[in-house]
Amino acid sequence: MTDETWGHVRGELMKSIGKNNFSAWIEPITFHSFEDGIVRFLVPAKFIGSWVSQNFGDVILRHLISAGIGADRIEFTVDPAAKAKPAPHSAGKTPDATPSPEPVNVGGNNGNGNGLLNASLNQNFTFDAFVVGKPNELAHAAARRVAEGGPVSFNPLFLYGGVGLGKTHLMHAIAWELQTRQPQLRILYVSAEQFMYRFVRALREKDTIGFKEMFRSVDVLMVDDVQFIAGKNSTQEEFFHTFNALIEMGKQIVISGDRAPVDMENLDNRIASRLACGLVVDLHPTDYELRLGILQTKAETYRERYPKLQIAPGVLEFVAHRISTNVRVLEGALTRLFAFADLIGSEITMDLTQECLSDILRATDRKVTMDEIVKKVCEHYHIRQADLLGPSRARNNARPRQMAMYLCKKLTTRSLPEIGLKLGRRDHTTILHGVRKIEELMAIDSQIAEDAELLRRMLEA
Amino acid sequence: MAEQLVFDLPPRAAMGREDFFVSPGNAAAVAGIDGWQGWPFGKMLLVGPEGAGKTHLVHVWADIVGAEVIKARNLTDAAGEALARASGVAVEDVDEIAGRGDAETALFHLHNALAQRGAPLLLTARTAPERWGLNLPDLDSRMRQAGVLRLAPPDDALLAAVMMKLALDREMPLKPRVLSYALKRIERSFAAAQAFIAALDAMALAAKRPPTRKMAKAILAEDKD
Repeated sequence: MTDETWGHVRGELMKSIGKNNFSAWIEPITFHSFEDGIVRFLVPAKFIGSWVSQNFGDVILRHLISAGIGADRIEFTVDPAAKAKPAPHSAGKTPDATPSPEPVNVGGNNGNGNGLLNASLNQNFTFDAFVVGKPNELAHAAARRVAEGGPVSFNPLFLYGGVGLGKTHLMHAIAWELQTRQPQLRILYVSAEQFMYRFVRALREKDTIGFKEMFRSVDVLMVDDVQFIAGKNSTQEEFFHTFNALIEMGKQIVISGDRAPVDMENLDNRIASRLACGLVVDLHPTDYELRLGILQTKAETYRERYPKLQIAPGVLEFVAHRISTNVRVLEGALTRLFAFADLIGSEITMDLTQECLSDILRATDRKVTMDEIVKKVCEHYHIRQADLLGPSRARNNARPRQMAMYLCKKLTTRSLPEIGLKLGRRDHTTILHGVRKIEELMAIDSQIAEDAELLRRMLEA
Repeated sequence: MAEQLVFDLPPRAAMGREDFFVSPGNAAAVAGIDGWQGWPFGKMLLVGPEGAGKTHLVHVWADIVGAEVIKARNLTDAAGEALARASGVAVEDVDEIAGRGDAETALFHLHNALAQRGAPLLLTARTAPERWGLNLPDLDSRMRQAGVLRLAPPDDALLAAVMMKLALDREMPLKPRVLSYALKRIERSFAAAQAFIAALDAMALAAKRPPTRKMAKAILAEDKD
């Protein structure tokens, strides 16, 4: 049996089961092979195979036999091409070309055998990758100073600021820099949560001595997001003792938090005053220039990943202007923007940016209603609502009416009978016809396609 | 004739990769799931309306990665601690925990623990994180940092496929003519398709007959009221 025979059988099937059934169920399946009396077809998903075989298996087999094929039965397998549909952006890209964080074991470099100093640092968080601007220059300078090593000038260094402003980035950068300059240093970076978790585990395993020894044997201790131990009394207590012991030994400590030590509720006063006795610097919210600088740096990084990417002038400025919160949100916006542009394979224009980032730019989602569609269509074509909804079948009323049907179907989840009711008590088959008419016309008439796109944009904006 | 009482037993849904119907509305999401090794920051959000196939895709992914799957509302510190060592984690319905301090904190720590190890995190929700209203700013910014894969509302082919699959999951013999009839008259959303198939199944079981067009008509008429 050949593709040609199958083509013939398809024609016969169309006649016997009707055009609608044919296009819905038979068209998606493709002929694969014929061996040992078994005809194999490819289907886009397993359940479609079961469905077609249950409902049309007999009739397909009958037509195959009458076409002279000695088939005993038919089988369906999932089309591997449909399974692993390669996305345009994944083509030619290897997994290792990704900017995702690669954890690196710092403690291991120190020849530390107990496996507890295994804080992992993000490779991308270096001083080189840190974009400096007015809001963060003081914090950056202080971090640089600590990273140079040498005599401990301010201890502890306390970095604070709102979320996503670069506290963790600076801490990792200090660790990387110190590690490069003085490989013999034992550096421990932990989040406050991990500190607590290890302490609780030590209590449970009755190994608080080991815990104390481990934390007190480091040369540099970094604790991120210290606000998470505020209010956890025994953990705070232990942290306080560790902290004092290290300070006495002249070891460098770097702490971060979401606010200044004195402003932390539930934080033991003794600890708060200790934390504040070194240098306390804050990272201010980003300003426009800094955001733009960050976006430009990130866009360069992405360009390595998506070489074909084109960004229209003004887009980055627009994003920097409109997204005024923190750097993570900026990163998220760029990630979405680039992935979207890559998928549809076009330049990143202002329109595309607004559409893709609508969740971020707009405070709420708007649901388009059928009333709005009717109103907008009437305005666009300069006709009265009574004409659009009325019985007139003149072309200059009928076409806009069909456009309204099309938009109602595409932009709302209303059922066809509901749309019919709204558009002048019409039957659902009329709606179906109107929708199909517009779809056909869009393919051949660019004016109709433009109208549809314009109306959609206006309604969704 | 006495009415047959029907247990509302949850059907066991087929969750394999071969059972996922790829359509233009979800192709990008499927490709994004397949390319999980390239996720920016090692995390990804899967966003789509109810019934769009989020859970299905999550299970497909979890199978590939050997990841653990948890509903966000079941997240506690203890659960998070156990999951932090998994080779990957999928957290479902994250938008549901917005405003619940414990769960938000647990997710925050889980996120950090996975990020530090470089283990991937997949999250699902009905909307993008800007709409969730998370209380914990640390978590909020980390969620907004993630890339977003969208499952679009269904087009006609996808809605037909979804109804076929739902019927087969319930082992309900749904005839093409009944399906075509319903497709033209139903609200075009995944949730409506699910509700319709469940109602049709219940009616057919109660009548001890395969579903007919008349039953479909009765259910659709009921919806209108």
